[in-house]
Amino acid sequence: MRRFGELIGVAVAGLTARKVRTLLILLGPILGVAAIVAAIGINESSKGDLKAKLRELGTDLIVANAQDAIGGFGADPRIPEEAAARVARLPDVTSVTGTLQLSNIVTLPFAAAEDYYRAFPVPIIATHLNLPTTMDVPLVSGRFLNGFDEASASRVAVIGRDLANEYGYIANEARSIQLGGVNYGVVGVLDYVLLEPSMDSAVFITFANAVEDWDVDDPDPTRLYIRAPTNTRYVAEEIPTVVSLGGPDGANTKVPTDLLDAQSQVDENLNNLTKMMGGLALVVGGVGIANVMSISVIQRSSEIGIRRALGHSRGTIAFQFLIEALVIGVMGGILGAGVGAGVVWMVSEMRDYTMILSVSGLFRWASVSVGVAVVAGLYPSTKAARLEPLETLRLG
Amino acid sequence: MSSTPVSESLLSLEGVSRVYGEEVLVHALRDVWLDIRAGEFLSIVGPSGSGKSTMLGLLGVLDLPTSGSIRIQGTEVNTLPDAERSRLRGEAIGFVFQQFHLVPHLTALGNVETALLYRNLSRKERRRRSLEALEKVDLVHRADHRPIQMSGGEQQRTAIARAIVTEPLVVLADEPTGALDTQNASNVMEIFAGLRSPERAVCIVTHDLEVAAATGRRISMLDGEIVSDESQVAVS
Ligand SMILES: Nc1ncnc2c1ncn2[C@@H]1O[C@H](COP(=O)(O)OP(=O)(O)O)[C@@H](O)[C@H]1O
Ligand SMILES: [Mg+2]
Repeated sequence: MRRFGELIGVAVAGLTARKVRTLLILLGPILGVAAIVAAIGINESSKGDLKAKLRELGTDLIVANAQDAIGGFGADPRIPEEAAARVARLPDVTSVTGTLQLSNIVTLPFAAAEDYYRAFPVPIIATHLNLPTTMDVPLVSGRFLNGFDEASASRVAVIGRDLANEYGYIANEARSIQLGGVNYGVVGVLDYVLLEPSMDSAVFITFANAVEDWDVDDPDPTRLYIRAPTNTRYVAEEIPTVVSLGGPDGANTKVPTDLLDAQSQVDENLNNLTKMMGGLALVVGGVGIANVMSISVIQRSSEIGIRRALGHSRGTIAFQFLIEALVIGVMGGILGAGVGAGVVWMVSEMRDYTMILSVSGLFRWASVSVGVAVVAGLYPSTKAARLEPLETLRLG
Repeated sequence: MSSTPVSESLLSLEGVSRVYGEEVLVHALRDVWLDIRAGEFLSIVGPSGSGKSTMLGLLGVLDLPTSGSIRIQGTEVNTLPDAERSRLRGEAIGFVFQQFHLVPHLTALGNVETALLYRNLSRKERRRRSLEALEKVDLVHRADHRPIQMSGGEQQRTAIARAIVTEPLVVLADEPTGALDTQNASNVMEIFAGLRSPERAVCIVTHDLEVAAATGRRISMLDGEIVSDESQVAVS
């Protein structure tokens, strides 16, 4: 152990005696490791926001849209009550909410605003009562539509958060809005719905109101929102069959986070290319180490000769130079990982990424640098060990 | 029946030859027999190319003979593996060369300490012994200087400190005054003379007949052979 410590001391003294040369051969491993760490880190961090957002959203919401089972576009496809109930009974499904969007209803915060709001129609959505549960979105204020509203078809509405802002709605204020000239009391404001941003500027009413006030014949939704925390994909594939059951009604499904999910996947091809380029830089750095150290062995032949005369064996000499290479590999690895991590941090700051850096990756690439340096050191160290001491001493 | 006690043989060459080269053969040493005993102070003289350096390298097993054997205290060492041979060399021999061969990036103290590496000594102990050796050559005040900051004489004295810090049985010096002016040369020779002890031998290769005259035994070489081996009345 003491011997090893002494060897490291000798190697470090040899390296620090030639600072510029040492810095130059350190550049190879530093650049190689830094390039790989930075490229992979930036690549991953650029997806970090998406990943974080996905975690927040969850990837288990399915949207099913009514469609004629025959495949054509029927006038007004719906998902009947029984079909929605069948979907709700699927084992992995925890929550189902049906909605129906009503069109051509002018919505106004107050009568005088008519000109402006006719130009920008607000979506009116008839919904089942468990929408906040299925979408996993809380209310900012007030309450959502409830069973009493549904049973009595009382004219109450919940509005989306953007709409509330636009109308200058104050929390829990007793206020009404006009839907096609009919006044509805606002009972609550729904928070932002990240998976369905159109809901942020919508007005929600009960199906009972839709039937009563707006000429809708059946309280059947055109769209189902389904939560299936397990087997999401299988459930999504299953739903069209469950909805149609051979009948004329049908549905197509999609998982809205799928696109995000695909975007959030790090491009493996790009990563592999980077690793190859960085690996190449490391190999070139290794060749540099072997080259410079070989020259150094010749320059230091007198030192090697005198060490042999003082009793150091060939093995000890070889080890001394191998440890110089090892120290270069370790330093290059650590500095390279540090520089790479710094670059990832800087780019993440500049582009507002959520920085993602794998510590095990840092260690892995640093140790690759150590491996390359040691392999590169093999040739010069055997060369040093093979020198004939008497000849090197004779030359002075 | 022992009148004068025969002192212990420290180093011996037995029928040693050394041939250099593969195509053109150079017989640098031909069938040399030599025995160096404890307490001896000897010089090796001879013209350039006569094989003095070759013989000194073989005496210190820094090189291997083409034939014949080298013994340290009776043990044949030329057949040992390198690690073992190197260890014995480090323990028994102290080398001094004409060109000093100090490691340029190490201080005088660091150079002396190099001789004590890999011997399982603490850093403190290495330091203590090295300073002691520098003391013997009167260079403690130069301990932290690098070779480039020292005069030739000081560098050679550092090299001598490095050679003796291990308390070797034999000090082998190859033209140690060859690169020095007369003043420094005589100073260095004084130090060598002072290294003599009953347990140790000091062997100096030299051109300088005055230097040779100061030693107790003079070996003359010519064309790779020992042509004379004279004991002389030790001066001073
Ligand atoms: N490595 C070598 N290869 C070939 N010839 C060598 C080598 N080393 C020394 N010689 C030759 O061996 C002979 C003895 O050299 P050397 O021992 O250095 O003599 P000296 O030290 O007495 O001047 C010389 O002729 C020299 O040229
Ligand atoms: Mg010579």
